[in-house]
Amino acid sequence: MKTKVVLTFSPEASNQPITHNLIAKHHLLVNILRAEIDEVGGKMVLELSGKADDIRKGIDYLKDNSVSVRPIKEGVRRDDDACTHCGMCISICPTKALSIDQKSGKVSFNEEKCVACGVCIDACPPRAMEILI
Amino acid sequence: MTAQEFKEFVRANGIKKAAKEVDIVTTGTFGAMCSSGAYLNFGHSDPPIKMQKIWIDGIPAQAGLAAVDAYIGATALDETNNMIHGGGHVIEDLVRGKALRLRATSYGTDCYPRKEIDTYISLRTINQAVLMNVRNCYQNYAVATNSSPKTMYTYMGKLLPEFGNATFSSAGEISPLINDPYYRTIGIGTRIFLGGGQGHVIWEGTQFNPGAPRTPNGVPKRPAGSLAVLGDLKQMTPDFLRGLTLSRYGSTLGIGIGIPIPILDEEMARYCAVTNDDIQAPVFDYGQQSRNRPVLRDVSYADLRSGEITIKGKQVPTSSLSSLYKAKQISEILKSWIMKGEFTIQEPIQRFPMDRVLRNLDVRTEREALQ
Repeated sequence: MKTKVVLTFSPEASNQPITHNLIAKHHLLVNILRAEIDEVGGKMVLELSGKADDIRKGIDYLKDNSVSVRPIKEGVRRDDDACTHCGMCISICPTKALSIDQKSGKVSFNEEKCVACGVCIDACPPRAMEILI
Repeated sequence: MTAQEFKEFVRANGIKKAAKEVDIVTTGTFGAMCSSGAYLNFGHSDPPIKMQKIWIDGIPAQAGLAAVDAYIGATALDETNNMIHGGGHVIEDLVRGKALRLRATSYGTDCYPRKEIDTYISLRTINQAVLMNVRNCYQNYAVATNSSPKTMYTYMGKLLPEFGNATFSSAGEISPLINDPYYRTIGIGTRIFLGGGQGHVIWEGTQFNPGAPRTPNGVPKRPAGSLAVLGDLKQMTPDFLRGLTLSRYGSTLGIGIGIPIPILDEEMARYCAVTNDDIQAPVFDYGQQSRNRPVLRDVSYADLRSGEITIKGKQVPTSSLSSLYKAKQISEILKSWIMKGEFTIQEPIQRFPMDRVLRNLDVRTEREALQ
């Protein structure tokens, strides 16, 4: 199975080879979708693939090492009241998480496809997209 | 019926039958329209003030009229150029019924002795709040793309480098002036859906350019006609009037406009039968920062709506800046108003001048400006 998670960690935790350990000790395939680090710690968006049991153990390992783990659904949020369904976001979304239904003209946001890259945030004219990580 | 329904009716039954059986076609559009703003009359304070500088919720409004009249433009920004909150957002907040801080200063006169005021206003406290837009509802518009190596932030939205995307802004086949290409039924005095209320076309829009090149069926292939419109802000709703931010460009106003088109004869039926395949728009490279950008190619709205166009051999994803969803909603609402007798069709009291030409601003001498 596959899952996408958002990690936030303190400067201490950033010194540990956590992705290496996820791969070597927990037999997971790790795809780094986004990573940033600064003086107050780091954030990372990972796609983990492997056996359900290994993924669970991997996430437990992260939590034991003071890395906070959240599902990607909490990465980017759309304010449905603010969205005008113009579709500006569609051509800039690299994973096609945002798409338009030709018949109704409605723009839909598929959170499963979102990798929380954030390119839609400042492209949205009514400022309906918010990044939480 | 709505413009969408009319096109299906024509496909099934032909022009002749459509011209005979259909009375009115309702069109709609919702998009960012920068040449918009509202004039306001605040009422007089005691002692009275002749306002010389005015700020509403921190955004400067234009004084220079009588003592307590002002005009706030959609693209107005405060001194910090904070684009998240500009004139368009102030107008939306008024429509939402919010109370906003009003500050004004003056030099004081014998009849208007007060030199400053700091208070709150809302749509309930002020005499007039009228949306008056000098250029809305463009008949067609450019498609924007970017050949340069860096992301550009423009009034056509975020343009990714090296033809990474292309943006356009029109409701296409259901857009008002596309369905009345020679302005036979839309003119000065036409009653319209404006921002959720009822307003009027008050003049041709600025930069009105009816001589733009057209396809054989009359649809302009370039930006051509536009409308100046007016309506009571107190009737409007945030569903169809929205402050917008185009990053690193500025603020603007998203406005919904719907216009009924009477099917006077077969000619009007033919115009209203236009589909996205028949509407062409030019693709411009905004990577070239000049007034005379070359047209890379013409594309149809059917191509643009398909989600991808080809530019210089590259497949380029497309985005709309105007909301097709809201445009359709507007055409539906206008239809229901007409059916219920809440909206009556107003014949234009004067047609638009067809001899207007589009002029440019060049640096001239005093003598050259007279030639």
